[in-house]
Amino acid sequence: MQFLWYQYFELFSLLCAVLCRKGLNFFSIGIMIPILILDNVTEVIGVNYPFFGWSDNYFVYDMYQILSLPLTFWLFSRMLDGSRKQRIRLFIAGGAIEVFFIVNLLFIQGISEFNTYSALIMEIANIVLSCLLLTRLAVRKDDESGLLMDPYFWINGMILIFSLVTIIVLGSVKYISAHHIKIRHILLYRQILPAANAILYTGYTGAFLLCQKLRTN
Amino acid sequence: MSEATDQLTTTILAVILVLLFFGVLFLVMLAYYNYRRRQTAREKKEMRAVFDQQLMQARLEIQEQTFTYLSEEIHDNVGQLLSLVKIQLSTLEESSVLDLDLVRETKENAAKAFRDLLSLAKGLHTGHIRSQSILLSVEQEAQRVSKAASLEISITTDGEEKKLSEENQLILFRIIQECLQNCFKHAEASFVNIGFTWYSDNLRVRIRDDGKGFDVDRALAGHSGLGLNNILNRARLTGGSADIKSRPGEGTVVTIQVGY
Repeated sequence: MQFLWYQYFELFSLLCAVLCRKGLNFFSIGIMIPILILDNVTEVIGVNYPFFGWSDNYFVYDMYQILSLPLTFWLFSRMLDGSRKQRIRLFIAGGAIEVFFIVNLLFIQGISEFNTYSALIMEIANIVLSCLLLTRLAVRKDDESGLLMDPYFWINGMILIFSLVTIIVLGSVKYISAHHIKIRHILLYRQILPAANAILYTGYTGAFLLCQKLRTN
Repeated sequence: MSEATDQLTTTILAVILVLLFFGVLFLVMLAYYNYRRRQTAREKKEMRAVFDQQLMQARLEIQEQTFTYLSEEIHDNVGQLLSLVKIQLSTLEESSVLDLDLVRETKENAAKAFRDLLSLAKGLHTGHIRSQSILLSVEQEAQRVSKAASLEISITTDGEEKKLSEENQLILFRIIQECLQNCFKHAEASFVNIGFTWYSDNLRVRIRDDGKGFDVDRALAGHSGLGLNNILNRARLTGGSADIKSRPGEGTVVTIQVGY
């Protein structure tokens, strides 16, 4: 069993989410706990795929994309806190993307390779939604606490950074593998993704602690 | 091949760094924008608090002046009339024959005192001023002042009359009231014109008298400028402005501009 360094960040983030669950519920982002459980489980299985006798872990991450999409859209719908109409629009868009993911897994790219189209769409959706939410926050929030004291700012800021950094890498996983694009003898995505993950989960952890702090205040 | 891969790796890394840069820049810009927005909101709140305080102070000043004005009016006008009525009644009481002319005169004086009191009450009643148009309130006040101070007051209007907000209407009325008092108390004027010009977004009121005039700058700087400063401050409270133009021997023109 392998446990890579960035997984500690994921695990710590999950622990914080569980400990600060009241704060998370206070900010309507209790869904973060199932998201983080899914992230951790996927990462543990994905990293230890030889243990299960698999030749690669693409299927694990393809399934992760399909499972995490509804949870992510649910999270955004909670954070956007829009009207019923806006929420329905968001769920329709999420549903359409989910259908595409399943079709892509079953008929287009298949289960034997990493579904780069799905990954690209997922990252684009993350970028668009997080930008929308961040802009809304900046425009609407005018109380004394400020944007930096808002957990949504950190969650969405980190999602945005993560998606911007990984969109290129995840979109070209196949190409990077085929052409052995490496930095210091390690494949490019194996270098970049762990660092991006570490940043993302550190941001999450900070946001969870803020949730708890603001709730108790 | 290796060189080409290196170039590709560098390019991918450069693109990632550029995207990362733009992401961070976007977040920083949002945070800064939000900071500025909050700062503006805070400043607005502070300005609002100062404005409210000034408004409260102006109300208190108006109230104080109203009391003084009321006291002077009762003493100088109604009080005098009633004293006269009392003397006339005493004369009647002491007289052995009934002087019908004196009775009629006493009755007229009592009625005049009553009319003056009613007119005074109307001019002071805030609700009354708020409920009717500013033009009507000023006309009534002009009638009252012209009777009391033998001052000829004309009112002219230009444009279609529009409704002022209640607060602005009251403040404007008090300003005009103060100007009229200044005309007969200090300016020794015999003629006053009050001109209303209704523009699309504001009302301009110009009060022109033929009094003895004064040096505006000196008056504003000195103790006697308290009433003039009140006019300027109150006009500012309505979100509008006031301008006082005068020269010794040339009368005075007060121009007030108030938004609806």
